[in-house]
Amino acid sequence: MLEINDLHVKLAQEDKPIIKGLSLAVPKGEVHAIMGPNGSGKSTLAYVLAGRDGYEVTSGEVLWNGDNVLDMEPEERAAAGVFLAFQYPMEIPGVAGLTFLRTATNALRKARGDKELTTPEFLRLVKEKGAELNIDIEMLKRPVNVGFSGGEKKRSEILQMALLEPTMCVLDETDSGLDIDALRVVSEGVNALRSPERSMLMITHYQRLLNYIVPDKVHVLAFGRIQKSGGKELALELEQSGYAEYTDAAA
Amino acid sequence: MTTNVEIMKTKAEKAFAEHFASVSGSLPSDAVALDARQAAMSRFDELGLPHRRIESWKYTDLRNALTVDVPAVGDATAVSAADLDAALGPLAGLDTYRAVFVNGRLDEGLSTLPSMTGVEIGSSSGAPAMDDALAAESIVALNTAFVTGGLAIKIADGVAVDKPLMIVSARAGGSDLLVTTRHDVSVGTKASLTLIEAFASIGGTAGQSNALVTITIADGGRLDHTKVGATVAISDLATWRAHLGNEATYRAFQLIPGAPLARNQVFVTFDGEGSALDFATAAMGNGKDHIDSTIVVDHRAVGCTSRELFKGVLDDSARGVCQGKVIVQQIAQKTDGKQMAQALMLSEDCEFDSKPELEIYADDVVCGHGSTSAEVDPDLVFYCRSRGIPEAEAKVLLTESFVAETIDHVSSESLRDALSEIARNWLAANHTK
Ligand SMILES: Nc1ncnc2c1ncn2[C@@H]1O[C@H](COP(=O)(O)OP(=O)(O)O)[C@@H](O)[C@H]1O
Ligand SMILES: [Mg+2]
Repeated sequence: MLEINDLHVKLAQEDKPIIKGLSLAVPKGEVHAIMGPNGSGKSTLAYVLAGRDGYEVTSGEVLWNGDNVLDMEPEERAAAGVFLAFQYPMEIPGVAGLTFLRTATNALRKARGDKELTTPEFLRLVKEKGAELNIDIEMLKRPVNVGFSGGEKKRSEILQMALLEPTMCVLDETDSGLDIDALRVVSEGVNALRSPERSMLMITHYQRLLNYIVPDKVHVLAFGRIQKSGGKELALELEQSGYAEYTDAAA
Repeated sequence: MTTNVEIMKTKAEKAFAEHFASVSGSLPSDAVALDARQAAMSRFDELGLPHRRIESWKYTDLRNALTVDVPAVGDATAVSAADLDAALGPLAGLDTYRAVFVNGRLDEGLSTLPSMTGVEIGSSSGAPAMDDALAAESIVALNTAFVTGGLAIKIADGVAVDKPLMIVSARAGGSDLLVTTRHDVSVGTKASLTLIEAFASIGGTAGQSNALVTITIADGGRLDHTKVGATVAISDLATWRAHLGNEATYRAFQLIPGAPLARNQVFVTFDGEGSALDFATAAMGNGKDHIDSTIVVDHRAVGCTSRELFKGVLDDSARGVCQGKVIVQQIAQKTDGKQMAQALMLSEDCEFDSKPELEIYADDVVCGHGSTSAEVDPDLVFYCRSRGIPEAEAKVLLTESFVAETIDHVSSESLRDALSEIARNWLAANHTK
C-alpha cells in the first residue's frame, strides 16, 4: 500500500511550492487515477515518488508498504518495487536498448535477491514481453528511445515495466501523444500487468485513457492538493465540466 | 668578442645521452648498426626533447615531463603463455596471429606467425625511411638510437591476410624499463591486413615505451590498424607514419586506457588519389594522467577523404590533448576532411585541450571540425537509477556509451567486443564516483 501523508514539495532551487499538503492512499492491487489541469503538480508528484533531484520535500511522508520512500535512493526505490513510466521518456545515445534492459533487469534481480538472468534467458523474456507490445528485438538493438516515435517511446516504457516487475507503478501521461491504435496496445500492456500484488497510479490529463484502463478510484489534483476523490464516474464528470473550477481563473 | 652558446640540456636529455653512451655497444646491431644509432643520437642531440614552444608539442612538454632517469633497456625475459594471456585480458581470446615482443625482443616461442604465401614477415632493420615529418621528431631519433627489435611485414599484391596479426609488446621483469620497437608495414596493391598492436605489462613492470610504426599502403590496399595501450602506468611515446597510394584505405584506431604520460602521434600522407583515412581514438584518464593524441593529415592528391574522431573521458585532474592538423595542398582538390573532438569531463579539475588546425591551399574542398565537452547527463543518470541501476553503474554505462562511438569505427566485431570490455573494465575500476 502506498500512503502519502500531507506532502509538501517545493523546487529545490527556488521557493516555489508546488505540492501543498497532498494526501492519498493506494491499497495493494488497486489502480487509482490522478487527473488535473496542466501545471497542477502531477509530474512533480511522480518525480518525487521516483526520487528525482531538483525537488525538496519540506514536510509530509510517503510510505510504501510501511517503508519511508523518501529516505531511499532512486535505485533503492526501484528495488522496493517503485516504477515511474515517464511522461517524456529519455533518449540514451550509444546504449543499446537490450543492454539497458538487461543491465536494469539484472541490477534489480540482484538487489531483490533473485538470480541474475543469463543472456539467453533474458532474450527469451524480452522477446515474449516485447511481442505483447509489438516491440521486436531489432528495435531494441537501437540506442534507448533514440529516434523512436512518441508511441514507440511509451511502449518501450511499458516493456521496461513488464520486465522490471514493479509492485507500485506510476504512469505519467502514458496516453499523451498516442493515436488510438497505440493507445490500445499500451493499455492492453498495462492491463496485462494489473494484479492483486501490484498497485498503480495513473496520471492523466484526459479521461480517454480511463476507458481503456478502468481505475478503482479517481482523484482530482489541483492547486497542489487532492481536491476531490471518487469512483470512475468522476472522470466522466470532469470530461463534461472540464477543469474550469480547478484553475486560477476560478480560484 | 665571441660567446659560446651552450644550449642548456635538461636532466632527461642528458640522461638519454649518457644512457646511450653506456648501452649503445650492446644494442643489437642487426636491428640498427652502431653508426646509424650514433647518427640518430646526434640528431637527438641537435633537436633536444620537444617542449611547449614547438607548436605541435604545445601541451606536452617532454622536457618537463621526462625528468626522471632513463630506465634500463629491456632484455629478453622469459614469460609464460598464461601470464601473457592474463596481461592481454580480453585481447587474449581473439583469433589472431601473434608476434610477441618481450621487453622489445621477439619471443618466437610465444609467437604464431602466418605462414601464408604472400605474407613475408622479417625483422625491421636499419634506420627507418625518413621524411620531413619523421626527421623533425626527436622521439623518432631516440627510437632509432635505442630500438631493440620489430617486424618488417610485407603483404604481397592481392593478398588478404586471413586473420588479424596481433603484435604484442609486453614488458616483464618488475623494474622500470625502456622498451623501444619499430615495425615497418607494407601493404601491397589490393592487399589487406588487420594489425593489432597490444601493449601489455607483466608483474606491474612500468617505465617508458617508444614505438614507431611505418606504413605504406599501395593502390587499392587496406590496413585496419588498432592500438591498445597498456593498463599499467608507463610513459607511452608512439609514432605512426603512413603513406597511402591511390584508392587506399587506412582505418586507424587507438584506445588508451589511462597513462601518466602518453603521446600518440600519427602522420598520414595521401600520395595517391581517392584514398580514405578513418582515424578514431578514445583516451580515458584519471589521477594525473596526461594523454596526448596528435594527428597530422597531409592531403597531397585529389579526392581523398579523412575523418578523425577524438574522444576523451577525463576524471580527477587528468588532461586530454587532441591536436588534429589537416593540410590540403594546392593539388588536392575535392578533399573531404572532417574532424571532431569530444570530451566527457567527470571532474572539476580535469582539462581538455583541443586544437584543430586547417591549412588549405586548394579551393574546391570540404573541410570542417568541431569540439565539445560535457558532463555525464544527470537526467540520464536518474533515468537509469529509476530503473534500478545503481548510480556508479549508471555512470559507467553512460560513459561507456560515449567511448563506444569510437570503438564502432573498428571493423572486426570480435575486436570491438574486446575493446569494449577493456574500456568497461577501466571505467568500472577507475570511475566509481
Ligand atoms: N524542474 C522545474 N523547474 C521549474 N519549474 C518546475 C519544475 N518542475 C515543475 N515546475 C513547475 O511546477 C508546476 C507543476 O509542474 P508539473 O508537476 O510538471 O505539472 P503537471 O505535470 O501537472 O503538468 C508548474 O508550474 C511547473 O512549471
Ligand atoms: Mg506532467
